[in-house]
Amino acid sequence: MGFLTLSYFLFFPACVLGYFLLPHKTRNLWLLACSWFFYLCAGPQYFLFLLATVAVTWTVALGLERGGGKALLICALCLFIGALVVFKYLRFGLSLVTGALGALGLDWSPAVPELLLPAGISFYFFTAMGYLIDVHRGKCPAERSFLKCALFLSFFPSLLSGPIGRGPELLLQFDSLHNFNYVNLKEGFLRFLWGAFKKLLLADRLAVAVDTVFAAPERFGALQVLLAACAFSVQIYCDFSAYSDMAVGSARVMGFALTENFRTPYFSRSIAEFWRRWHISLSSWFRDYLYIPLGGSRRGTGRKYLNLLIVFAVSGLWHGAALSFLVWGLLNGLYQVAGSLTEKPRSTLREAVRLRPDSKVTALWQMAWVFGLSTIAWVFFEAGSVSGALAVLRNMAKPVLWDAGGLAAMGMDVLEWRVAGAALVMLAAVDAMSQRFDVTRRVLEAPRWVRWCVCLGLLLVIVIFGSYGSGYNAQDFIYGQF
Amino acid sequence: MSEKNTEKSGRKTGRREALWGLMFVLAAAILLHLTGRVFRPVHINYGSTWEQYLAEPKNSIDVLFLGSSYAYCDWNPAMMYAESGLTGYVMGGSEQTPALTYWYLKEALRTQSPSVVVMEASSLFFDRYRNYTQTNVERMPWGFNRLGAIFTAAEPEKRVSLFFDLYIYHDRWKELTEADFEKLVPAGADHLKGHTAVDEVFPALEWSQEPFLNELSQSEEILEENMKDFDRIAALCREKGIDLIVTVNPTYSQYPQPVYDRLEERLTENEGVRVFDWRNGFEEMGLDVSKHLYDGGHLNQDGAKIFSAWTGRFLREQGYVPRAQTEENTLAWEAAAEYWEGLLG
Repeated sequence: MGFLTLSYFLFFPACVLGYFLLPHKTRNLWLLACSWFFYLCAGPQYFLFLLATVAVTWTVALGLERGGGKALLICALCLFIGALVVFKYLRFGLSLVTGALGALGLDWSPAVPELLLPAGISFYFFTAMGYLIDVHRGKCPAERSFLKCALFLSFFPSLLSGPIGRGPELLLQFDSLHNFNYVNLKEGFLRFLWGAFKKLLLADRLAVAVDTVFAAPERFGALQVLLAACAFSVQIYCDFSAYSDMAVGSARVMGFALTENFRTPYFSRSIAEFWRRWHISLSSWFRDYLYIPLGGSRRGTGRKYLNLLIVFAVSGLWHGAALSFLVWGLLNGLYQVAGSLTEKPRSTLREAVRLRPDSKVTALWQMAWVFGLSTIAWVFFEAGSVSGALAVLRNMAKPVLWDAGGLAAMGMDVLEWRVAGAALVMLAAVDAMSQRFDVTRRVLEAPRWVRWCVCLGLLLVIVIFGSYGSGYNAQDFIYGQF
Repeated sequence: MSEKNTEKSGRKTGRREALWGLMFVLAAAILLHLTGRVFRPVHINYGSTWEQYLAEPKNSIDVLFLGSSYAYCDWNPAMMYAESGLTGYVMGGSEQTPALTYWYLKEALRTQSPSVVVMEASSLFFDRYRNYTQTNVERMPWGFNRLGAIFTAAEPEKRVSLFFDLYIYHDRWKELTEADFEKLVPAGADHLKGHTAVDEVFPALEWSQEPFLNELSQSEEILEENMKDFDRIAALCREKGIDLIVTVNPTYSQYPQPVYDRLEERLTENEGVRVFDWRNGFEEMGLDVSKHLYDGGHLNQDGAKIFSAWTGRFLREQGYVPRAQTEENTLAWEAAAEYWEGLLG
């Protein structure tokens, strides 16, 4: 049940209505029932995985609080990581091994079992592991109630694609009393609408051009390939941040505050900053539970760089079991290492051309670099294979700049490009405003007629110009597959 | 005391907010409805002309024609009026199944009380679902009958677009013209009265040629489902005190004789239903197969003129008499008849 489906539009109001009409004591139970129903809709065969995760997490957390020690935590983490490896990475790992053996002249082709990859497994496993580490570190108490622990791991807005919840922040919210509140309703509704705008007007529209060009980059001119790569940078931002907006908005209606997952990442002035503003719940997870335990930046510069590369390699693999994801992760790690190594010469160069670090020109230049570098990395993310990504990059550098087919050959006619352009300008304007103030709050504090105009206008624009319905290929959320 | 006051004012604010919330939902619904009207393609013929039907003066229709394209191509109510004084309306739809016809009849009877319902029989041989469910249902006015049509007569996978037709029409933003915005003003009654005039002539048909015989491919279960829907139509007519006539219109697209024998036998199991098989009645009606067939099956506009006049005479012979009309409506019908006389000669 995706957020933008008729079933969700029926499910969500029923869930919210039940939540606020039921007595306080039964609300968490209702929410858990709704969350499990939501998960069952993703595929009943996956449900046992979720149930087992809840059972293991609850038991281990209690065990850790009763002095279970580091060994218990390590066992539990090994169990989760082991399960993730088996279900998500076994095929990839074996392909690497057979490839390596083949290079040595040894022929070994093991039978790889067809295993289910439960929906959202990477997200709720990470939630569970983070929670257990927090309990072990004493950052949050072990949840005694099985129901609340189950709800924490299964909370439907964030269950399938995050934001990855943290025990100290989310668990406590299930203890609080959430009364119906119009401000929350309006805020949640507006966030959901904005998410729908990004998904339907930009992500799914640009997906057509991106898929067309990435499928056969050799058929297009260099500028068209470059345009498609840039379009993918916008598409993935809009796709994933839209999901987060809708998740945050849905939770907000019921009075819950989920972690903000994006803070206008393309306005970052360095790749390091970009990763502090992109998929924040995952980046901070890696920072707290992998980078810092590895030593972070405390063990010297060389070790810091190695830690960065390890974290980003793991992050790449978290996104998908393929070499291209590993390259994408490593590339992002290398950008940061290179950024750190070249910091001084860049600063000297800026001084030489009399550019102040806080000037607008510097900021724009740096943002353009961040966008360019991340776009090159995203090519590996989207292409599906390293060779496919290299083909795309090669075609960006060929002498033929523009294929005769023009924009239409990319799968979108001129009118579609105009709509995408206008939507992009609107997105950039809103993102720019959100640098200075909370746009949602500002809209909600405006006079009623302004609020109504914004909401109804947004609704109308989505309904008319959105990529949905018959004649369109419904695009799944990209992060739904992780 | 002050706590009580705070509670009271809190409740008041809550109620006010709820009211504004409802108004917002209403405004959004109206906005989406109007947008839907603009984006839905222009539709003035080929059946399902609900807006024009609802603009007819209440209880002014003597004869209600039901069925599929055979109904709206073959009957031109204005020509029937010119001949017999009987007013009529074709409330059919393209490839309309009997299941849908039932909901059409139910909805149509909310504003009209015809003396007789005349249903063309072809749809009784249709599959459960046909090609034009979207057009047939989306034009119906919102209400219980439309919901009934959506849930009992439409393909389940079409429900989203039947509830929210922008789902399929929203991408018409590229082709909108001024005419699309004119649809914001509801259509009034027109001269078509549900008829669709087609002017092509089916080539090379001679009097001597035998009709085309089709194989009946539908399963017994499907045919029986259709009959059950017909039973509901018959029951509704009985309940409302309206006569029900089923016709097989003049056509060169036919089934073998036993199919019609069985059909008549099954239909007349319903009390009061009369069946008239006119499929070979060309000569008697004054129809020329070399001039008056559109595609071998349906009549063209000239054939419809002759057949409608004949139907009017037939119904008068059956004892149906025109009801009293207001002067304004009489003038409207006369204008419609004049329009068609002028057009068809």
